Amino acid sequence: MIVMMAWRNIWRNKMRSLVIILSIALGLFAGIAVLGLYKGMMKSRVRNVIDAEQSHLQIHDPDFKKDYEPKFTLRNGASLLKAISALPQVKAASPRSITNGMLATASGSSGVQINGVVPDLEYRTSQLKAKIIEGKPFDQARKNQVIIGKKLATKMKLKTGAKLVLTFTDTAGNLVSGAFRVAAIYRSDNAPLDERNVYVNINDLDNLLNIPGAFHEIAILLKNDEDVGPVQQLLKHKFPGYQIENWREISPETDLLVKTTDQYSYIIMVIIMFALAFGIINTMLMAILERTREIGMMVALGTTRIRIFLLILTETIFITITGTPIGILGGWLVINYFNKHGLDVSGMGGEMMSSFGFGTMIYPEFPIDKLLGILVIVIGTALISCLFPAIKALRLRPSEALMR
Amino acid sequence: MADIADIQKGPVKKETVIDAHNISKVYNPDTIPVYAVNNVHLHLLKGEFTALVGPSGSGKTTLLNLIGGLDKPDSGNIYINGVDITQLSSGELIDFRLKNIGFVFQSFNLIPVLTAKENVEFIMLLQGAARPQRDERIKQLFSQIQLEDKLDSRPAQLSGGQQQRVAVARALASKPRFVLADEPTANLDSQSASNLLDIMDKLNKEENITFLFSTHDQRVIDRARRVVRLVDGKIVSDSATVSTEHA
Repeated sequence: MIVMMAWRNIWRNKMRSLVIILSIALGLFAGIAVLGLYKGMMKSRVRNVIDAEQSHLQIHDPDFKKDYEPKFTLRNGASLLKAISALPQVKAASPRSITNGMLATASGSSGVQINGVVPDLEYRTSQLKAKIIEGKPFDQARKNQVIIGKKLATKMKLKTGAKLVLTFTDTAGNLVSGAFRVAAIYRSDNAPLDERNVYVNINDLDNLLNIPGAFHEIAILLKNDEDVGPVQQLLKHKFPGYQIENWREISPETDLLVKTTDQYSYIIMVIIMFALAFGIINTMLMAILERTREIGMMVALGTTRIRIFLLILTETIFITITGTPIGILGGWLVINYFNKHGLDVSGMGGEMMSSFGFGTMIYPEFPIDKLLGILVIVIGTALISCLFPAIKALRLRPSEALMR
Repeated sequence: MADIADIQKGPVKKETVIDAHNISKVYNPDTIPVYAVNNVHLHLLKGEFTALVGPSGSGKTTLLNLIGGLDKPDSGNIYINGVDITQLSSGELIDFRLKNIGFVFQSFNLIPVLTAKENVEFIMLLQGAARPQRDERIKQLFSQIQLEDKLDSRPAQLSGGQQQRVAVARALASKPRFVLADEPTANLDSQSASNLLDIMDKLNKEENITFLFSTHDQRVIDRARRVVRLVDGKIVSDSATVSTEHA
């Protein structure tokens, strides 16, 4: 009967209850929308890291990444690449020669990372071709072509066809330079990387570095994200003596960002529910104060204080959870819509998004994995919110309450 | 008119239901003490139909609250069926009230979200009564208060008199030792008050239910078989009356 009384009690003042139920629904909707937005952003960021930047796995000589010394090429690189490419879990594997150097034009210079790539393989692992916004991909018939990022092009005032000089040290420590012509300009969702990375044909770079036929890195893109761990273990077992890292190890900041954002999501939910808790407390307190005499009468008749507490708790839970499905459904509908159509935020700080490595088109995702957490927060809010009104009710002395 | 001693006369000695000794209740004891109840002795036997009368502020409601265990006296003891309720904790008092005392309040304190039937059933649910018992008792009680057709009506759909009859049914639902009624007819028109008194009178006579009610309604006083008069928290007279109707 307590459950039935609680349900009927919340509808005694329909307007007041509806206002708080709608507040909870709106609060939850906002919270779920933020969680969905974050989830979409993080998923997109991780996809960028894997599909367009680092790939799932990378293999280097153990000493290479200490100082990016060009002499630390992968031993038996060609046979290693062949063996890896033959693995059934591997979608694409791309060899890269990498060195740090200076890009110079008539108007200035900038520090860059020069990536020597096999165009066809690179296009499959990092989608370099798809990111080109001006010019044409590498022409195999031409030598010393370079593809540069949009941000670098803007900074150095470079256009397609422009000439530039790349200077770096070779394996013997000699300073070498090469004149390159801009074949294309690319733009990814990560502006800092666009500013730093330039791509040249692996043969052109290897000749200058004096490491013909060798390379420093193999980037491996897998068919399934879930295979990262097993394939990494397999490679470590089959090819000891190499540094084999997964994307989380290569880009720990992304992993940290994903984990931190997960925690932020809950903090945002807690803040929203904390604000709503005051509304719930206010509503429940008003309901209790209006019913002082009735509660006093119930105690006088023999209703135990625990039953009174349960009645108030049930009312608070009802008033809280009634808005919950509305908020969740609203969130689900809106998130689903934008998941299909995308949410273009280029008008709201697109530059800033790009500088943090995020795309300007966000595809929010319903945070189904956080629903249980959200429900726990909602129920927790109801429990906390009912305490003050309940204490107020439990302190009533029946003889005094009946006089009011 | 009959004296209290007459009520105690008879072949079987009547059971004591309420035995209050030297009870006092003082408000503002540290500033200006007000004796709401001042050294009162009251002894009620089973089956009595007693009116507690007196002017406003004479301490009627306070005395009822003390006897009903809704408040604690500052001094004195109250025995209900041999149990000194002044020594019970508030939790024990709640349980004691549920099992032993029926209440009828002045302003038809029914739970507005429950139907008439549910209001009566509520008490039996608190007592843990099984459904068949509850159904049987509800049927019996609503027949006694002549509201069989109002079982599913909410209090707001009932007249004041009907609400107060439901309150009487609720007070009796737990089969209490006695019923305390605080000015039960105060908010009723004369016809409703008369109907209510008929029902209470009938229950008292036919089922030997003990009633103690505070009132300053002459219609009630006329029908009480014992009248206890309070002035300034003290009992100034205690006599039995027989209304002309029953004489």
